[in-house]
Order: sequence, then C-alpha cells, then structure tokens
Amino acid sequence: MSLRRYTRAVDGTIPIQALLYNDEELLASQDSVGIYDGSQKAPDHQNGVVHVTTHRLFFLNTHKAHSKSFELSLSFIIQTEYYAGLFKSSAKVTCHLSGDPIDLGSIEGGAAHAQFDSWECEVCAYRNPPGLSPAAARICALCGVPRTALPPPTTSVSSSHLSSSLPTSTLSSSTSLTSASRSSSGHKPTSIACPACTFLNHPSLRSCEICSTELPQPRGELRSAPSSRPITPDPDDDDDPSSLKAIKISFRKGGDKSFYAALKRSLKSKAWENNALGTNLSRDANSPDSGIGNPVGRTGISGILRTVESSTKGRETDMKDALQDLEALMVKAKDMVKLAAELNEKLTAVSASNHSATPEPEEATFIRSSLSQLGLQMTNTPVTLDMMKDERRWYDELARELARVLQGQPANDGSITGGMMKDRGIIALDEVWGGWNRARGVALIPPSTFLQVLPHLSAHTDPIICHQAFASGLNVLHTPPYTPAAFGARLYGFLMMNGAKTTVEISAEENLTVALVTEMLDAVERDGGICRDDSAAAIAGGGSGTGSEVRWWGNVFHGYMWDGQEV
Amino acid sequence: MALSTHTTPSGFLLPSIHSAPPFFTEQPNPTTQSTATEQWIRLILTYARHKKLFNLRVEDAEIAESDWEEILRNERINRRILPNHLSNIIATMVSKNLAAYEPPKQARSVLVFWRLPEEWAEVLYDWVRLYQLVSCFHWPLNTILTFYDITDPPSGSPLGNIPVPLLRRAIVILGKTGRSQTIAITDGEGVRFLPRAK
Repeated sequence: MSLRRYTRAVDGTIPIQALLYNDEELLASQDSVGIYDGSQKAPDHQNGVVHVTTHRLFFLNTHKAHSKSFELSLSFIIQTEYYAGLFKSSAKVTCHLSGDPIDLGSIEGGAAHAQFDSWECEVCAYRNPPGLSPAAARICALCGVPRTALPPPTTSVSSSHLSSSLPTSTLSSSTSLTSASRSSSGHKPTSIACPACTFLNHPSLRSCEICSTELPQPRGELRSAPSSRPITPDPDDDDDPSSLKAIKISFRKGGDKSFYAALKRSLKSKAWENNALGTNLSRDANSPDSGIGNPVGRTGISGILRTVESSTKGRETDMKDALQDLEALMVKAKDMVKLAAELNEKLTAVSASNHSATPEPEEATFIRSSLSQLGLQMTNTPVTLDMMKDERRWYDELARELARVLQGQPANDGSITGGMMKDRGIIALDEVWGGWNRARGVALIPPSTFLQVLPHLSAHTDPIICHQAFASGLNVLHTPPYTPAAFGARLYGFLMMNGAKTTVEISAEENLTVALVTEMLDAVERDGGICRDDSAAAIAGGGSGTGSEVRWWGNVFHGYMWDGQEV
Repeated sequence: MALSTHTTPSGFLLPSIHSAPPFFTEQPNPTTQSTATEQWIRLILTYARHKKLFNLRVEDAEIAESDWEEILRNERINRRILPNHLSNIIATMVSKNLAAYEPPKQARSVLVFWRLPEEWAEVLYDWVRLYQLVSCFHWPLNTILTFYDITDPPSGSPLGNIPVPLLRRAIVILGKTGRSQTIAITDGEGVRFLPRAK
C-alpha cells in the first residue's frame, strides 16, 4: 500500500543522471536489491538498482525498467531502521513513511509541471528555468516569491483518486493539474476540496461536510454543476490504518552499509527543505504565521538586491583572478624576451670572434630563425639567409597556389578547369582575396601577405596576370588585354568605329562592371587617349541637373590642325 | 564621325573642331584641355578680326543673340560653351596678353587684342600720316587730333569704333617712341603726332 501511495512511477530506461533535478545530486547506488512493501515482498520489484540522491530514492527495475521503476521523495521518510541480516536473510533498510497524500499529490503535480516548463515570476518577471526540484521550482529563483499559478489545495481530490490505481496516477495528477490551471485562469472549480480531509464539498457549502473544517471560499461566481470525478473517498485510503507504512530495501548482494550511510546523510541534510518555502505556504495557507518558516532574505526587494550584489561580487572576483593571471603571463613574457636577447647577443659575439669567413654553425642559424618566427627577433640581428630563402619560397608557393585559384587547375587531358579569371580578364583585388581565402578554407591569408605575394604572381601565370592600382585606390588583377595601353587602343578603335559612347555602353561592350569601366576610362582619359563630351553643355535638353551624361570621344584635339578661317 | 568645316551666314569659316561636341566641354586632362583652349583662343581672335569685335563678356556665353553667337554656340550639334569654361579661356587669354580686362579689376569682360596694342599703334601712326598727307592743306604737320577725330573720322578708317582704352594704350606706346604727345585741350584730351624721329 505504502509503495503505491508514496512512490511515483518513473521510466527506468532513462539513465539516472537524466532523471535528477538540476539542484539534485546522486549520492550512492546499489544494484541487486529488492523492495518490500510494508512487511511483504513487492512482487514486481525484486531485482533492481537503488539510488539515493539529495532529494529522492530511486528504484530502477532491472527487468521491467519501463513500467516497474519508481521514485520516492525523501521527505516522506520519517525514520529508518537497519537490519544487518542473518544466515540467508539479507541485509535490509526499512524506511518508515509518513506524510500527507494531499501533499504528495500537489508536489507530484507541481513537479510534473515544473520539470518541463519554465515560468515567469509574476512579481519580478524573472524567467525561471525548468528542471529544478519541486520545492525549488515553487519559488522564484530571483526574488523568492512563491509561484502563484501553482495548483491550489483543491487538487487534493486527485490524490485520493491516485491511491485507487497506480497506473492512472500520473494521468489523474495531470488532469488535476489542468483543472487547477483552468481554475486559476478563470474557470471556477465545481467543488471545493476540504483542506483537512480532502473531501470534495459542494461549492455552496461553508464548512466541510465530513470534518466541519472551514472551507476556503472560491472567488467569483459559484457553479452548482456536479463534479464528474469521484467524490467518495477511496477505500484504500484508510482501510488498514494499522498496516505498516514503510518500505524495505533488501540488499541481496551487499553494499548495504555504505548505502545506508548515504541515505542517513541525505535525510539529515534535508536538502528538499532548504527551498521548501512553497510547501510550507501551501500547507499553512491559512495560518497567519506562515511567513516565519521562510528562509530569511529570499523574498522581496532586499532579496533581489542581495542576489544582484552577490553575483556582482562573484564577477569581480573572477575578473581579479583573470587579471592576475594575465600579469603573471606578462612577467613570464618579459623573461622570455630577455632570454632571447641574451641568446642573440651570445651568438653575435661568437660569430664575431670566429671571423666572418667561417659561416655560422647551423644550430645558430636555426636558433635565430626560430626566434624571428616567434616574433622575438632582435633589432641587431641580421636577416639570415635561410630565413630569406624560406620566405621567398613561401611567397612563391603562395603565388603558385593563387595562380591555380585564378586560372584553374590543368586537368589530365590538358584542358583547364575553373578558375576565377576563366572568363574574366580583369578582377578586383578584394574579390581575389575573398575568393582565395574561400578556396583555402583554413589558414587564411592576411591582406599584408596577399599584397606581398602579388609581385610573384606574374611568374606563375600564363597568360601573365599583373597587378594594377587605379588613381581612386581600386586595385585589380588583369590579363594582358587589360593593360591600360591595350585597353586604350581597343577603346580608341571602338570609338572611332562606332562614334561616341557612354560609360554604360562601353561597359556593356567590354562585359565589365560600370564601376570598373569608369576607373579604366578615367585612366585612359588621364593618358589623353579619350576626351569627354558632357551633355551639360547642350543648348537644349542638357542642363546641369538631371540627365547630364558624359559621352566619350577619341581625343579629337590630339594632332588637330587649324582648318578654320585664316587671317 | 567625320568633322567638317562650316561657313557661317556672316561668311566666317568655322574650323572642323567646332563641330566636335567635346570642344564645348572642359576636359579634365590638362594636356587635352590646353590644346582645346589654344583652339578656342585662335577661334575667338579670328572671329573678332572678322567681325571687328573688341569686347568679349562671360555673359556672351549665355545670351542667345550676342555678337559672338556664331562661335560660342553650335546649333547643329546642340552644344554651347558654358560660362565657366569661357571664363577660364578668357583668363588664359589675359595671361597670354591676348586680351585685357576692361574695365580693370574684374574678370567678366575683356578687350580682345586681335591686334596687339603695338600693332594698333603702328596702324594708328600710319593712318595719321596718310591722313595728313591727304589733307595737308587743312592741317599742318604736328596737328592735334582729339580721340573723337580718330575713332569717328569723316572718311573710313581702320580704327573705326576702336574702344578708347585700347586707343589710349596705342597712343602710350607711340609716346614711348617719341611719336605722339598727349595734351589737354578745351574739350578733353588731344594727341599731337610728331614726325618719326630719325
């Protein structure tokens, strides 16, 4: 009986760690244990693993883990006994249980709710995360005000129902929860549960029909609709008041002593009570001194201030620690630089004394290049030959790679595939940089290195790709047909053949962007290859405002001889 | 697009460059622009000589019916020179001593020297000598002539309608070589021309 009444089914296939609340801690585990319900063996719970945590006792069945596992809140345990075992009888721990099934119902309901739902405090609007233990989830973590939307004591009816059949208990508690939340969101309860004996009274009654306890008055209008739920107390509830309210844990394969110690420790620490404000409140809702049991400083504005203060203090300490670490690192770095300087000076002295004819030993060169690679190069160090060689090779390799990105990889059959400049003769530098780094994916090339690679590029490309900077600062890479001279000559021929053209028309002809063509035209104009006709100089239709556009002409002034009226 | 010369109603032969639209746009390239300016100056001076025009104002670029219309505008290609452009050309002319701001200390109008003041001085002296030769019975040598006598003589003169400031410059130049003398007479100023010093 007590097993049914006080425990709640859990899914034993879930690992124990996942079943814990956020503020719960696993203390001890023992396998090969059996459960006695009262003095009888519980037939369904004869082989399993038992875990004790700060809040609960878990029994996870080995065979029927899904349906026959349960959890038991430690708050119900009022007393424990230890039996060391004799002959074939194995060691046992007896847990005497007590507590209100009402409480059980509301806790389970709250737990089922709070575990899977985050909620917002109505006082400080703090969003409380899910996953806390029922007691902790009942109050706001920031301001300590109890959650108001929690099921009121009316749900007690469901717990009497709960004891009628275990498999439906979760279901009934969840229905009680929904009915409770419904009642809190406007729907009035159809009957009032007695806070003392849990009997469901008609809403128009002032005191309990059974025990005459004063009933809490429902708010708003009352409804006389009869409850669809059973009102009569379950016979299980008090059929055998003398029966032993206890469960026994039988340790078939030992481990009993350490487990019992852990259980005792957990019971003593009463972790579930630390935050059990909500439990107190809901139980003593009517007693005036219910606030006395509250943990001090958890509620109200002072509570918020304290929380904020403590978190600020914590952050400050962290920051201080971090800064101290940094300072320590700086001191070490100074030592490092000093060491490098000494090393370098020693090397210089040695090479000076050795006469310059003999080359420096390989080790010395290696040390120096290592130092320079670490960024610890000293100003008086000459750039060693092998460093130069390395760097040159590095840039050359990069240039070769960039050439592949630009012009594509020669395939086996000799055809060239892909490449950024496959169909384009001229391309902006930023696009090249982005495209290259995208092609590399890792170990991206910084712009400074990129610019140093460019002079090497022409050696690895065919046709040769050159770098050109326009007056506006725009940088491009281009193939020979796009050198300023080649472009200017082509443009001049085009203009001679087709007459004056606008920038847009030229860009369409060249299949380049307008911005780029503008730059190129400016360059050609600067060289005197072309001249402009601004339609702002028109007599009619032009004007300096809208519609003013420039048409490009070949340089009509170049080589012009006066052919007008002579004196 | 082939460019061709064009003869205006006043009988002036426009150069082919005048029918190229870029001619009417200021070119950002300084080399190109200096070539264009050279052509403009030559056009202006030739046209001024053709029409005997002495004054050029920046405003002429904006007025449709000015004396300079035939060269400052080209209706056939729908182009005209912009005042700013003309102003820059005028500045170049002044710097090359091919024009002078008149009145001085402004930059909106100039005297165009389609003959240089030195040339004008010779023209004036030659004309006076010729005039004296023809009318020696009326005026003895060393005759005094007023400005009005010069700019508006009874018979035709190459100096007709010459602006007084330009005439004054020419006379000053003659005075430097001892061939003229400016004197005050009752109704203004007069000039006494002297025989060429041997």
